Amino acid sequence: MATQKTLGESLREHGVTRRGFLKFCAATASMMALPPTMTSAIAAALDKARRPSVIWLSFQECTGCTESLTRSHSPTVENLILDIISLDYHHTLQAASGDAAEEARLAAMKENWGSYLVVVDGSLPGPGSNMGYSTIAGHSNLDILKETVEGAAAVVAVGTCAAFGGLPRAYPNPTGAVAVQDIITNKPIINVSGCPPIPTVITGVLAQYLTFGTLPEMDDYKRPLAFFGQSIHDRCYRRPFYDKGLFAETFDDEGAKAGWCLYRLGCKGPSTYNACATMRWNAGTSWPVESGHPCLGCSEPDFWDAGGFYQALSVPTANATHTLAVAGVAGAVVGGVAAAVAKKQQRHAVADREPVTIEQLEQRL
Amino acid sequence: MSELSLERGLNALRAEIDAPVAAFFSSCVHCGLCAEACLFYVETGDPKYTPITKLEPLRRVWEAEFTLFGRLKGLFGLNKKVTDEMLAEWEPLLYDSCSMCARCSMVCPVGNDIQYMIRKTREGMVAAGHAPEGLITAAARAVRTGSPMGLKWKTLQVQIDHVEASSGLQVPVDAEGADYLVMLSSMEIINFPEYLEAITKIFDHAGVSWTLSTDCYEATNAGIQIGNKDIAATLVQRIVDAAVKLKVKNVISPECGHAYTAVRWEGPNLIGKSYPFRVFHIIEVLEELRASGRIKTEGKEMDRLSLHDPCNLARKSGVIQQQRNLMDLVADNFVDLKEHGRYQWCCGAGGGVSSNERAAELKMTAFKRKKAQIEEVAPERMVTMCATCRTQLEEGLEDFNMDIPVVGLTEMIAEHLVEKNGDRKQ
Repeated sequence: MATQKTLGESLREHGVTRRGFLKFCAATASMMALPPTMTSAIAAALDKARRPSVIWLSFQECTGCTESLTRSHSPTVENLILDIISLDYHHTLQAASGDAAEEARLAAMKENWGSYLVVVDGSLPGPGSNMGYSTIAGHSNLDILKETVEGAAAVVAVGTCAAFGGLPRAYPNPTGAVAVQDIITNKPIINVSGCPPIPTVITGVLAQYLTFGTLPEMDDYKRPLAFFGQSIHDRCYRRPFYDKGLFAETFDDEGAKAGWCLYRLGCKGPSTYNACATMRWNAGTSWPVESGHPCLGCSEPDFWDAGGFYQALSVPTANATHTLAVAGVAGAVVGGVAAAVAKKQQRHAVADREPVTIEQLEQRL
Repeated sequence: MSELSLERGLNALRAEIDAPVAAFFSSCVHCGLCAEACLFYVETGDPKYTPITKLEPLRRVWEAEFTLFGRLKGLFGLNKKVTDEMLAEWEPLLYDSCSMCARCSMVCPVGNDIQYMIRKTREGMVAAGHAPEGLITAAARAVRTGSPMGLKWKTLQVQIDHVEASSGLQVPVDAEGADYLVMLSSMEIINFPEYLEAITKIFDHAGVSWTLSTDCYEATNAGIQIGNKDIAATLVQRIVDAAVKLKVKNVISPECGHAYTAVRWEGPNLIGKSYPFRVFHIIEVLEELRASGRIKTEGKEMDRLSLHDPCNLARKSGVIQQQRNLMDLVADNFVDLKEHGRYQWCCGAGGGVSSNERAAELKMTAFKRKKAQIEEVAPERMVTMCATCRTQLEEGLEDFNMDIPVVGLTEMIAEHLVEKNGDRKQ
């Protein structure tokens, strides 16, 4: 049985060195904002961890999330971990088809009842809509999801479609698409949003689950805080230009060429929570803002309908709920007041500053 | 005139909290990577030397007074106050165990400039009266006599006389309109007078017009080291006044790391206006002379040489390839330390640590990192281009009984210059 080997054993078989493994663990600890002393704990836990059974369900999606995961540039430890988790069912990647494929899913469920992870990418036609929009082996997405999740330890909704409905749910939502969390209410859910999500974030969540046997700390959207805790804007290398009020007005003006802030070109960085700015894409090569394009806000709910991609909006309001909009505005006001008070305080401090003289210094000797 | 006090210290910290500081503190993910980058932590293993810990006084003021959460905590009396005792406890962390080498800033995964914040926190320490004695006396001497070691022009005049006697060349003094005004550090005047002789020879060889100034010949910035912008600005202004008076086009910083960054990068901000001249390190000037073919050398050093990049020059200012080009000119058997250039480990003496007697023992502990680096490549001699680094290397290697002499790169170039007479014969 493939699941008998520990992760450590499998990694060593694949030629991953101890050093490489520890580096991965250290990076994971750092990403999860854990103290460096946790590195050895993570290493010890991952080393002993049994390869978890993972059932990957693909519904209404474009396969971009799977592509994101598999199109990495070099075989990194995180790829290998994904290669060797017991991926018992994956539409796109598995060789089996038809009944054989469905039987593999049922067999994996039975053997690992209560402990397997279900990864979902894609949204699904919700209750009340035409189930014929997306079926597998004649079964509706809704039925497959409910059946598969029954014995799962947790559900990881990978990508914005699975997490929030994504593109299929965009107005006017012809298929009645809903997110996984709209259907599943009795199992822990982790939303790893993004269109597509960052591969390292997916493996980071899996590594945490394997290490501690617990789910990561999450925000109100059930996204892991370690990766979605800060806004793109706060981490953006163009931020100093925003602070100075230097904005590109068009994509080819002097400001754009000088790398100024893309806020006025529609950048959703201030209202988008994701790790692009720190982790970047394509093996750390770049990320949208670095290649000159404003952030679309792809890891946020309803980003397709949050006004135009190129309209300057700091908070998506067009399709957001009333509560969200009010909360956003209230937050901005409170934050603004706090900032203003702090600024005033700082101005006073600068004005009150007396020059230090040598005589004063020498009195302290 | 009021006295230095906790209140003044706190006010100075408040005044130093700008947008970058706020962004940095709110960005810190507590990953601890800065610890592994700091030679004081690595060599002692004591977690109190983790760079970000050294900023605790500044961080507390920021949290309590500049964040919404901190203000709420304040309402419930939950904020931990910065007290005089706390500042006294932190004084050795900020001064003895930080050379402001900026290696922590470089490795920080979220780009926090920790070194920049250390510099700012020192402003608060000074205003609260918590600066080490060695730095206070150095700053006082720098302001009163123009040199942190209290050297007067007549001491330099003696060295000039020596140089002129041994080289047969004239050392230009107060020469109006020269291309370069040369600044020295006290260390070079006292410990390494061969530096002055070397540049006298090289500039004569290359036909560079230069001068010293009797008004200002020392550019070590004790104000930067102790962390006070008033003193730092006074010292920078002296250089500017001397350069303007002599109408020079360029100023050459001494072979002293912090003096270089102080006059080159921080100076205009300190005095609030741009310079009517440019500032270079001697290595940059020599490299330019080499590239334009104005330095002709003969013979090469055959023993195994390695190089220590001063942090201020390499990591903070990007002068990395220049010294290697110059090494190639005169060395046949050069080997780089494994971590060099931008990744160089600090010698452990910069940022005022060497002027702070209390830190003497810790400074030598920190030097073990350099020692380990040197042992890895086992050179026969070390080369460097910063008087402080050089002194620390010499003392450290002697302390650990390692028989590896240390030489200045400028002096080594001077030794290989083609003699003028020989030149004519060819």
